Amino acid sequence: MSALQSAVRSHAEAVKVSRTVDYILLFVVFFVVVGSYHIHAMLTMGDWDFWVDWKDRRLWVTVVPIVLITFPAALQSVLWERFRLPWGATVAVLGLLLGEWINRYFNFWGWTYFPINLVFPSQIVPGAIILDTVLLLSGSYLFTAIVGAMGWGLIFYPGNWPVIAPFHVPVEYNGMLLSVADLQGYNYVRTGTPEYIRMVEKGTLRTFGKDVAPVSAFFSAFMSILIYFIWHFVGRWFGSVKFIQQS
Amino acid sequence: MAATTIGGVAAQEKPLLDIKWLTFAFAIYTVFYVWVRWYEGVYGWSAGLDSFAPEFETYWMNFLYIEIVLEIVTASLLWGYIWKTRDRNLAAITPREELRRNFTHLIWLFAYAWAIYWGASYFTEQDGTWHQTIVRDTDFTPSHIIEFYLSYPIYIITGFGAFLYAKTRLPFWSQGLSLPYLITVVGPFMILPNVGLNEWGHTFWFMEELFVAPLHYGFVFFGWLALAILGVVLQVASSFNNLIGKQICEAVDQGLISK
Repeated sequence: MSALQSAVRSHAEAVKVSRTVDYILLFVVFFVVVGSYHIHAMLTMGDWDFWVDWKDRRLWVTVVPIVLITFPAALQSVLWERFRLPWGATVAVLGLLLGEWINRYFNFWGWTYFPINLVFPSQIVPGAIILDTVLLLSGSYLFTAIVGAMGWGLIFYPGNWPVIAPFHVPVEYNGMLLSVADLQGYNYVRTGTPEYIRMVEKGTLRTFGKDVAPVSAFFSAFMSILIYFIWHFVGRWFGSVKFIQQS
Repeated sequence: MAATTIGGVAAQEKPLLDIKWLTFAFAIYTVFYVWVRWYEGVYGWSAGLDSFAPEFETYWMNFLYIEIVLEIVTASLLWGYIWKTRDRNLAAITPREELRRNFTHLIWLFAYAWAIYWGASYFTEQDGTWHQTIVRDTDFTPSHIIEFYLSYPIYIITGFGAFLYAKTRLPFWSQGLSLPYLITVVGPFMILPNVGLNEWGHTFWFMEELFVAPLHYGFVFFGWLALAILGVVLQVASSFNNLIGKQICEAVDQGLISK
């Protein structure tokens, strides 16, 4: 390539080119993340996410923030570090939510007729906003790992409570006490997912019953710190610009 | 598009980004998969419930055989074409043509991202709801025939097409084998062979559907590898930076564009 020739004919064209590249790369990053984050989410926390009667105080509250902080941490470690773009976490969760909603609507409901108020996904945007703003304001990955990931874990249940609370109203059904969520799971038959598969809080003789959700949320927040820390490095590795077999 | 560059002379007035090809890349998957969704919507329920019935053979197993043949033929022709028409004199490329090819490469990445969406997100979770509605009586359920043996091969074919285009047309990418690019296309490719482990396990293991079962973690691991798109994006930025970086910096200094 001759250094004297220019690829663009004016500064205005250079600006236009860079804008077009922005749009296409946004599409590329967004949909590749939709695909890969969705696969990861589906097979690590999907069962709790699919059904309102799996959205309990112990397992759901613990598992979802821990497994979902992975991709946000990885994206932040590149998008903020290399471009100072402060929406790494939010773009990831928006992608996941879009992928999930399209599926729940057109397939869970559209193909196999489960009602949407049984199969709506977990709400995860609030935690992502916390992660992104903490990183933006502090500029420190360590601070974000500790404070941001703590917020990510803690906000999860409160962020979902307004959505799921109506399904926790008790009903007496054929002589049994059920929540509305339990009743939905009982009524809308899931042939391939029998009841014994459902992993939800059942109580133990060594536990207190009342404050399960906040205790689980704190544990999840603590674990999210570790996972954020690890996945921050995973993200750096994925952001490699190496060539092998240089010719 | 594919001609060997001779003496720096290339077609000068072609648009930098060919919107028609970008539209084509978007539309071909969209139209095809919407048709597929219609087909399974109708024949999933009417012919796809009992795999031992003759209509299953007609509507679903024949679908499988046809798609496999078409995928092998398409991959051979597409990858073969891209490789055979590689630019053998990349050193003579003009900056303008290099910029144009960078945009064509972006169209390839665009197509890959769109194909990944359909395969990894749409048809994968769709298979989830089919599993939970129908207790499978074959490894080749309607949604498996679409998910594993149609949508995955299609994004794999697209991914390697993108990789090969960059490697054979663009000086930046021809300097070696890009590590993140390889991971971006090989990782999701490995999801297809991992179906072997998955189906082997399911033949004698889980009849009920627990999505978080450890048997499925292979898919998770290979799904992670698509995150190497981050490195690809950085390399794409470098590739463009070589061509327009100076002008962009000057445009910033002149206030044409904000920092």
